[in-house]
Amino acid sequence: MTTTTPAIAPISRSSRTTAVGAPWQLIFMRSLIYVILTLIVIVEAFPLLWMLLTSVKDTHEVFNTFLPTQFRWDNFPRVWTAMNFPVHLANSLYVTCLTVGLVVLLATPAAYAFARYRFPGREIVFYAFIGAMMIPPQAILIPMFQFLKSLHMLNSLTGLALSFVGGGIAFSVFLMRTFFLSLPRELGDAARIDGCNDFQVFWRVYLPLARPGIATVVIIQSLYTWNEFMFSNTFLTSPQNKTVQSAVFQAVGQYATDYTALCSGLIIALVPVVVVYLVLQRQFVSGLTAGALKG
Amino acid sequence: MAERLRNPPSRLRSLAVPALFIAPAGLALVLLMAVPMADAVALSFQNWNGMKPPTWVGFGNYVRLAQDATFFRALWQTVYFTVCTAVLQTILPLLIASLLNSGIRGSTVFRTLYFMPVIISLAISGLLWAMLFEPNFGPVNTVLRFVGLGGLSQLWLASPTTVMPSVILVSVWQSLGFYLVIFFAALQAVPKDLYEAATIDGANAWRRFINVTVPTIRPVIVIVVVLNTINGIKVFDQIWVMTAGGPDYASATLGTYLYSIAFGAMGASNSRLGYAAAIAIIILLLSIVVSMVQIRLGRRKDIDSQIEV
Repeated sequence: MTTTTPAIAPISRSSRTTAVGAPWQLIFMRSLIYVILTLIVIVEAFPLLWMLLTSVKDTHEVFNTFLPTQFRWDNFPRVWTAMNFPVHLANSLYVTCLTVGLVVLLATPAAYAFARYRFPGREIVFYAFIGAMMIPPQAILIPMFQFLKSLHMLNSLTGLALSFVGGGIAFSVFLMRTFFLSLPRELGDAARIDGCNDFQVFWRVYLPLARPGIATVVIIQSLYTWNEFMFSNTFLTSPQNKTVQSAVFQAVGQYATDYTALCSGLIIALVPVVVVYLVLQRQFVSGLTAGALKG
Repeated sequence: MAERLRNPPSRLRSLAVPALFIAPAGLALVLLMAVPMADAVALSFQNWNGMKPPTWVGFGNYVRLAQDATFFRALWQTVYFTVCTAVLQTILPLLIASLLNSGIRGSTVFRTLYFMPVIISLAISGLLWAMLFEPNFGPVNTVLRFVGLGGLSQLWLASPTTVMPSVILVSVWQSLGFYLVIFFAALQAVPKDLYEAATIDGANAWRRFINVTVPTIRPVIVIVVVLNTINGIKVFDQIWVMTAGGPDYASATLGTYLYSIAFGAMGASNSRLGYAAAIAIIILLLSIVVSMVQIRLGRRKDIDSQIEV
C-alpha cells in the first residue's frame, strides 16, 4: 500500500530513470495529489459549510462574518414552525412511502416473470417496459396534470404518488429483472420438485433471495421521490399540501434575503436524507451507481 | 421442456402465470405512462388553454415552434448545457478518480466527502447556490474579494453572460461525486499488471492514463457521457429555482421554456398547453435518440464485467 501504486509509484524492476525515479519526486507527486484532492474537498464542502454556519447566525450578522459570533440555535425551532415543516415532512414521507410501496409491489412480480418465464410476446412486452424508461417527466407533465384534475386528485398527495408510479415501475422492472436473472434457476426447479406451485416458488424461494435487489430499488426510488421537484411543485397547489422540496422553494419568496431562515430551512429539509445516507452509506452509494449503470 | 411435454395445453398455461405476474405492473404502466404519453402527442397537435374545448391545428404548433426565436434560444442553451456538463462531468470525475486510485491513503474519506452533494436534491442545491451567487453579499463574490480577486466578481445569475456558466458550475459541483464513484469502481477493476507493463516500457503517469486507463474503461466512460446527456436534455429543477430561465430567457432550456408556457412563471396565466406539449415532444424525441444509443451500449457484455458495485 505504501510502496507500490499502479499509476504513480516507480516500479523497482525498472532500471530506467525516465519513469518517476527519485524518492523526493515520489513524495512531491504524493503531496501534489493530496493538495489537489483537498482543494476539491474545499470546493465541494464550502457551500454546505456556509449553509451550516449561516443557519446558526444572528439575522443581523449574516453578511458581516464568516463564523458566527454567537450560535443562534433558536433559528431552527423558529423556521420549523414558521415554514410549517412538520406538515411538509409528513407530506413528503407519505408520498415517498406510497410511491415506493406501489412500485415495489407492482414491479417485483413483473420483473420476476420477465426473468424466469418464457412466454410468447415476452420480448415485445419487455421492450415496452424499457421504452417507458426513455420518457422524460416533462413529456407527461401536462397530460398528468389534466389526468389528476379529472380524477379530482390534482391537489392530492396520493395523486402525486400515482404520477411517479409509471416511471418508477419501468425503471424498477428493468433493474430487478437483472437481479432475478443472477439468481440460480436450479433453486426454483428444486422447489417445484418438492411440490411448490408457481406462486410458492416466487414467494418462498426467490422473493427472500431478492431482498438486496429490492433494497436497491427502495433506495433509488425513495431518494428520487423525496427529492422530486417538478411534479410536486406543479400538482400540489395549496400551501399545506406541499412536499418539502416545493415548500422550501415557496419559502424563498417569503423570506427573500433572510438567509439565516432559508439556510435553517434547507438544513431541516436535508436532515432526513442525510441521516438515511449516513446509516446506509454503503447500500446508498452502490445502489445509486448500480441504478445508473444498469438502468 | 419436460414440463411442456407432460401438460399438452401448456401454451395457455405458460402464458397464464407470467401474465398474472406482469398484468398489474403493465396496467399501471399503460394508465400512468402510455395514456399520458399518447395524450401529450395528441395535445401537441391542438390549441388548448386548459379551459375551452381544444381545437385541432395539425402541425400548427410545430410550425410556430420553427418560427419561435425563444424556442431556438432555449434549444441552443439546452445543447450548450448538455455538452458542457457531459464533457466536464466526465473528464473531471475521471481525473479525480484516477488520483484517488493512485494508491494514496484515505481515498474512502475523500469519496465520502465528494459524494455529499449527490444526495441533495437539485431544487435544494439550486436554492443554496442562488444565495451563494448573490452579487452584493453572496459568499462567492465575498470570497473573491477576500482573496484579492474582487475584479473577478460577477453578477452571476443576474447577468445574461454569466448565468449559463454559473448554472453549469452548480451541476458539476453537485454530480462530481456521483460519477467519481462510478469511475473509481471501474478503475479498481483495471488489472494492475497493465500499469506495471506500461511502466517498464517507460510510460509516465500521464501516458499510462491515456494509453492504459482510458481504453480499458472506455465502456464506462461512454455510459457516463450518455447519462450526462440524458440528464442535460431534461434539465429543469435547478435552473427553475435559481433563475426560472431568466434573466430574459438567458438561461431558458427546453424544460423551463415548456414550463413557463404551460404554467407561467408565477401561476397559470394564458397557458398555451398545446404549444407546450409540442416542446415536450421535442424533448421526448431528443431523449429517445440518446436512449437508443444507451440501449445499444447496454447490450455490450463487457460493461457488466467492468463494474462490481
